[in-house]
Amino acid sequence: MSQKYKVILAVVGLSLISTFWILWSSFNPVNEKALVKFISVGEILDSNSNERVRIGGIVADSSIIISPSNRMEVYFDIKEGASKLPVRFVGARPDLFKHGAEVIVEGAFFNGSFNADMLQTKCASRYEGDLRDAASYKLDDINI
Amino acid sequence: MTPVFGSVSISLAAGFSILSIFLLLFYIRNGDYRLFLSARRMAIVVSFLIIIATFILVNELISSNFNIDYVAHHTSLETPTLYKFSALWAGQSGSLLFWLFILSVFSLITIYQNKNRYHKMMPWILVVILVVQLFFLILTTFITNPFEPTKADFEVANGLGLNPLLQNLTMAIHPPILYLGFVGFTIPFAFAFAALMTNESGSLWIRSIRRWSLVAWLALSSGIILGGWWAYQELGWGGYWAWDPVENASFMPWLTGTAFLHSIIIQEKKNMLRLWNMILIMITFLLTIFGTFLTRSGVMSSVHSFTQSPLGPFFLSFVIILLFICAFLIILNLSNLKSEKRIESLTSRESGFLFNNVIFVTLCFAVFWGTIFPVITEAVQGTKITVGAPFFNQVTIPIGLVLLLLTGVGPLLAWRKTSTENFKNNFTLPLIIALCSLIVFLLIGFRGYVVISLMLSVFVTISIFMEFKRGVYSRVKRFNESILTALVTLIKKNRSRYGGYFVHLGIVLMFIGFTGAAFNMKKEFGLAINEQNHLDNVNFKLVKLWPEERSNHFSWIAELLVTADNGNIITSLRPEKRIYFHLDPNPDRRQPHSELDIYSTMQRDIYSVFSSIDTDNNIAFFQIMINPLVRFVWYGSYILVFGTLIAMWPSNRKKLLLS
Repeated sequence: MSQKYKVILAVVGLSLISTFWILWSSFNPVNEKALVKFISVGEILDSNSNERVRIGGIVADSSIIISPSNRMEVYFDIKEGASKLPVRFVGARPDLFKHGAEVIVEGAFFNGSFNADMLQTKCASRYEGDLRDAASYKLDDINI
Repeated sequence: MTPVFGSVSISLAAGFSILSIFLLLFYIRNGDYRLFLSARRMAIVVSFLIIIATFILVNELISSNFNIDYVAHHTSLETPTLYKFSALWAGQSGSLLFWLFILSVFSLITIYQNKNRYHKMMPWILVVILVVQLFFLILTTFITNPFEPTKADFEVANGLGLNPLLQNLTMAIHPPILYLGFVGFTIPFAFAFAALMTNESGSLWIRSIRRWSLVAWLALSSGIILGGWWAYQELGWGGYWAWDPVENASFMPWLTGTAFLHSIIIQEKKNMLRLWNMILIMITFLLTIFGTFLTRSGVMSSVHSFTQSPLGPFFLSFVIILLFICAFLIILNLSNLKSEKRIESLTSRESGFLFNNVIFVTLCFAVFWGTIFPVITEAVQGTKITVGAPFFNQVTIPIGLVLLLLTGVGPLLAWRKTSTENFKNNFTLPLIIALCSLIVFLLIGFRGYVVISLMLSVFVTISIFMEFKRGVYSRVKRFNESILTALVTLIKKNRSRYGGYFVHLGIVLMFIGFTGAAFNMKKEFGLAINEQNHLDNVNFKLVKLWPEERSNHFSWIAELLVTADNGNIITSLRPEKRIYFHLDPNPDRRQPHSELDIYSTMQRDIYSVFSSIDTDNNIAFFQIMINPLVRFVWYGSYILVFGTLIAMWPSNRKKLLLS
């Protein structure tokens, strides 16, 4: 075989192996955290599955309860449209976690609530909200 | 100046760019040089108008003119001047204008540098730059105009301000540096496109675009690293890379750009791989636009949630149209792109570069695949499957290790064909040392990828040192120089080669740092005063906990005494839990922020985050991490920047100074 064909064969072989590797990995994830279904709050409430899933939504108003015994443990509701999902999370909460924040949680549903081991907030690149007019705004309040 | 001028400037620039494109196309058809001259002047005007518009917006930002919607939404009276200035790229429309600003500066430099060069290519180069400018001008004029007046039926007394998380110097300079890289690839793309259209094959223009590509590559690399460094120092999840779509968006053009920087050497030296290089630079440019699409469209769920915008379809159409045009033109000019020479042997430097390219492109494909996987699964199955970091690590680690191997093997191969003699000379020592290190690492107890990665790092480092040694000794022998002089002249005489070796060395250090992540440890616990807890062999004792009120925030400060198992004091850490705007009557505007504290050595980082506080019982909750070898990543990146600077430093600087 001439050198030219050897080179071509090597390049094609290398590309094929790598492509195969990438595709194979997409069907054989290394662990349950590699590929996770992203479903809606409504879907998880309808299904009875205990599969690991990812869910996004808004933290429902006045639903955050921090456990008095362990302040790393928090209970809150995620709402998406009309559906509400009770969530339990143990771990460090992101700074932007609060009522009304857009969050993503990952975990599994059992015993009527969602046990999350990952809690992410969308990092706002700026303050959300409407502009304030002169009357509603007091500079002294904020900058001391 | 009033903001109206800003709006008018960008509209005028759009008009002039259309006119200029037409004049250039006419010139290309009929060759009337006057058409080219006026088109070029118009291109200069376009760039200056954009620069003026940018200055107007900056002026409005700094003088806090809240009648402009952009100013009101991204700054407030309390925003420090530096961040009023950086608000230019904090939001969507401003960042598009800023993008245009950089492209315009690059355009002016290109026009000035090539005043009397590349008469055939220049018209096409300008057409490409102008088309890209026009695209962004259309967006800023019609879709998101940064000079849009505030929509409020009252006098806006103050703006919304910038998130304190983003009020950080690194965060302020990381986007513009990334942009320099993104925009920078437009120029080599324009050159390549022009060469394709004019069938130019000389090697002079290749040197021009190599310099440009290096500048863009350095900016892109620094931007990516700074982003990671900021995330590590500020965000408190203990890592610097999360395989987030926005990170991937900058990583993909970096990968193909790196491949291009390598394979362009072959074209410069051997006039081979012309078709391949053309494809690579086009893909790199398209990926920069695609990256902007990813970050701006809201198609991907990302922690970098920029406001969802109507821009997605525009960017996607632009990418697809450009893709088709490029593909069409390449097929049309296929015969011109044929190389006269062929690669002669499997064991040549040329094939080494080729394999390196294949791996880089594969890696890019892997990242691309993982990034768009949720979209594909949603379209095919109806369920969106999100891709986590474990997937990316699973796929990319082996490919990355092959790349690391090639970093060591490639430079040892000879051009055209490596003889058996050469093989013995070049490979014996690195191989023996690498194998010895393998045994040592196995004895230490490392397994799996960790062993391979560390062994390859040793192999590459030795092979780089041998390259330097060979070069230095041959100079010492031949010119009777001292070792130091020989080293300096060696680097000076062949900046791109030895600069490249420095970059390789930097990459090796970074790989060692990445390998350290395999041993990361993490623990969360609560402590009352004088209580302690431990992670691995490190003890953490809460010795002090106190509140403090500062000018713009309120802070709970914890002092942790960190000791080793034998009782030796390692350090004391002071993570803080801050609340910005703590006096704001609206609790939703109060902004908690964990100011973390890191104790860093070459061996490991001890990383502490103050997560929460139970004020009733005075219990503070912490997240503690021990991350080995992270410093190698930062030191590696310094060397990478240093090496790139060597490679792109103009080699005739002395001559210029003398004349």
